[in-house]
Amino acid sequence: MHTTIQYMAAENTLAPAVSGDGGQALAEDSRDFAGTVGDVTVANPAMTARNVNVWYGEQQAIIDTSLDIGKSQVISMIGPSGCGKSTFIRCLNRMNDTIDSCRVTGDIRLEGQNIYDKKLDVVPLRAQVGMVFQKPNPFPKSIYDNVAYGPRIHGLAEDKQGVDEIVETSLSKAGLWDEVKDRLGEPGTGLSGGQQQRLCIARTIAVSPEVILMDEPCSALDPIATATIEELIDELRQHYAIAIVTHSMQQAARVSQRTAYFHLGRLIEVGATDDIFTNPGHRLTEDYITGRFG
Amino acid sequence: MNEMTDGHTVTSYNDELDQLNRYVMDMARLVRRQIADSIRTLEEEDVEGAKEVVVRDQEVDAIELKADDHIVHIIAKRQPVARDLREIMAAGKIISDLERIGDQARRIARLTLYFYEKDNSAPNYRLLSDIPKLAHLVDGMLELAISAFDRLDTGSALDVIRKEAELAEEMVAAQRRLSTYLMEDSRSIGHVVDITLGLRALERIGGHAKYVARHTIYLIKGKDVRHEPLERVIADVGH
Amino acid sequence: MNSHSDKRVRTIDRVNASLAERYARERRFRTAGLAAVSLGLLFVSFLFISIVGNGYTAFHQTKIALEVFFDPQQLDPDGRHDYDALTRADYGGLVKASMRNSFPAVKTRQEKRALYAMVSSGAAFELQHMVLADPSLIGTTQAVWLTADDDIDMLVKGHIDRSVPESERRVDDRTLAWVERLEQEGALKRRFNTAFFTNGDSREPELAGIAGAVMGSCYVLLVTLLLAFPIAVATAVYLEEFAPRNRWTDLIEVNINNLAAVPSIVFGLLGLAVFINFFGLPRSAALVGGLVLTLMTLPTIIIASRAALKSVPPSIREAALGVGASQQQTIFHHVLPLALPGMLTGTIIGMAQALGETAPLLMIGMVAFIVDIPGGALDPATVLPVQIFLWADSPERAFVERTSGAIMVLLFFLVTMNALAVVLRKRFERRW
Repeated sequence: MHTTIQYMAAENTLAPAVSGDGGQALAEDSRDFAGTVGDVTVANPAMTARNVNVWYGEQQAIIDTSLDIGKSQVISMIGPSGCGKSTFIRCLNRMNDTIDSCRVTGDIRLEGQNIYDKKLDVVPLRAQVGMVFQKPNPFPKSIYDNVAYGPRIHGLAEDKQGVDEIVETSLSKAGLWDEVKDRLGEPGTGLSGGQQQRLCIARTIAVSPEVILMDEPCSALDPIATATIEELIDELRQHYAIAIVTHSMQQAARVSQRTAYFHLGRLIEVGATDDIFTNPGHRLTEDYITGRFG
Repeated sequence: MNEMTDGHTVTSYNDELDQLNRYVMDMARLVRRQIADSIRTLEEEDVEGAKEVVVRDQEVDAIELKADDHIVHIIAKRQPVARDLREIMAAGKIISDLERIGDQARRIARLTLYFYEKDNSAPNYRLLSDIPKLAHLVDGMLELAISAFDRLDTGSALDVIRKEAELAEEMVAAQRRLSTYLMEDSRSIGHVVDITLGLRALERIGGHAKYVARHTIYLIKGKDVRHEPLERVIADVGH
Repeated sequence: MNSHSDKRVRTIDRVNASLAERYARERRFRTAGLAAVSLGLLFVSFLFISIVGNGYTAFHQTKIALEVFFDPQQLDPDGRHDYDALTRADYGGLVKASMRNSFPAVKTRQEKRALYAMVSSGAAFELQHMVLADPSLIGTTQAVWLTADDDIDMLVKGHIDRSVPESERRVDDRTLAWVERLEQEGALKRRFNTAFFTNGDSREPELAGIAGAVMGSCYVLLVTLLLAFPIAVATAVYLEEFAPRNRWTDLIEVNINNLAAVPSIVFGLLGLAVFINFFGLPRSAALVGGLVLTLMTLPTIIIASRAALKSVPPSIREAALGVGASQQQTIFHHVLPLALPGMLTGTIIGMAQALGETAPLLMIGMVAFIVDIPGGALDPATVLPVQIFLWADSPERAFVERTSGAIMVLLFFLVTMNALAVVLRKRFERRW
């Protein structure tokens, strides 16, 4: 590989710690780039992103990326560190708004509505597009309150009984109900890592989102907990559109129906996971998934 | 070794894939020697040589076992994807094709033993004349297929597939010739049947060589062309 | 590689050769640190020993036992137990009469004056309190323990050396003889000094107490807490969570940090100029003291609160934003509760600072001699450290132990507050 990979940003931090000459590498690489390989559209999209560009200050993190998130399927985003995959999914629920220097252009639509519209309120957007993070981050409150928080602030239930129902169904969907039903009052932070992450998923689905974004949800978990989460993702797929960023190519292969490969801020290739992992269309994708970056 | 195996960040992965490649090449070399030797023993009525060919088939089997074991380990350890995965799948299938080719060579060597070991009446040399000719053809196919695999050359692989038609014609011609001999002298019927089996073995070798070529195309292009007609294959791989 | 193997010196040999020196260096460093800590502890223990050694006697007070006849003629000639009459009656005469009864040998006026001086001028008030509390005492004879004069107190506590010549002693031989007689009779006793905790300041050391100063400190701290905590927390939350990052907020931040380093006397001058001269608030009042100390503690609490807010992990904010909480909900539901223990710790440390502060209060007149215990934030008041400052200036020997006693009380409050800060931190420390 002639391209130098810039380890631009730790994917999980809010602040974009971008190295100085990352832009150089982006510009260099753009000469070889002839557009995304594969079909970025799907028949039944939950979200559509068109020509998205993202800057952190002077540094461009996403270059002209278009991608659909399909309903009732899992799309995984893979790519080397700093390739922009986390940045991209954070654009989908405007989580990047919390970074002052971050600027987004392009068109991202949820049910036909441009989510970067000046008039659009970000609060209902984030209720519709939920997010699960790399490190399990339950609130330091009880298990019950963790799940009930979202429904409460959005007023999704009429009374206490309604909240109870939402908590139970959410925890059940997250496969956690049987494990915690007798100790809903205990702090969520007292659960094991995998349980905490499922609690975070339950918290996300408690507000009935259309889309669930997952930013490396298993990177802090052991293989057994990871398997549980992967099984859960596969079940959740029936009801939600799911976009998952992962560093584990095996995980992408296991849980997703579509795979998107990002490289230095560009969407290099997107396609059916089965095809990507047997016969990728772009040399960079192939080099990445076969472990040929050096 | 070649561009298929090189370039991994983990260099021992390169080495393992190289080793797999070496198994294929070693096995191909051994199998081609088996074919050549078995044909030679038939021509030279060399019973001892034929026995050696039969015994040496075990070496072919041993390489196959080692290669299969190697493949299992690579899959378990590396979880190969994309061209690595295709490389391993193709190599595994080529190896089992080569093993079957080895079996066919042994079959021809057994023919030598059958004809010349005991006091059985030896066949007329004219009856045998088609065998070296066909053997030369299928050995050429095998050589081309293996070199296509080694050099990742789609063109050579397609040539192998094209040659199969030639082989089929040669088979028909040889069979026609044998039946004329049979009409001349009906006592040679036993020999004709045996020699037909020998020809059939050579045809099988040609068939396996063709599969090696098609696995190679799968390896290079990621498309499984085993059961497609030549025209479709050419259209698919864009030659 | 080759050059290494040629020399045939294995790495482990080199490591071993330098190991002794490395360990020795570590030991020296550790010894130096230990010595520094020991020195510090030594000084602290000197401080404590000297203060406690000087001050523990302040918690005792010498009392003299007297047979007091509550003469109805003198106290209540009408026999109506009239409150005003009882209040105005001549209790001093009662004390003097009792003393004369105890020492019938004393005849001359000069001797009598010396005799009366053995009992504190507050003794009359003690009798007054007894009678007012229970008028039925009138007409009876009671054995009463009355507060002794500070010189007698010092003599009993051993602070006045009985062996030195009379001319160099504050207590003359005659009084000394009386004291010794009383001691033999068991009529001199050291009792727990409740007056120290219940009285205001006084010119008479045996009557002087810290109650006024403690109350003053309480009012000042209350004002400071009520103003400084909400303002500081609001400032910290705004600067940390809402304010845009620009030149103005940078300027504010620099100024807050600078303010923390401004000498406290400057705040006193500011308070004098603004609160007293401009707004016309009463001098010496706890309210003004509280306002001045609010200015002084604000930067401390703001800085601590911002640090507490910063230490809340971003993952909690992300989690809240991720389920669709607004920024304000995120802060008030999740960030603030997690930062509160840190903020409280900062506040308590700021309060402890304010409790020990003297200089700015001198500027706003809280150094005045105030006998009455303040009843509100607008009454003239003084505070503990200023009381200590005042007593330390007084010439009487008995004020020395009272100074130390007051310091001990102040230290007790400071230690308690710091301990509370530690407990709060431990209690609310969360893991995530």
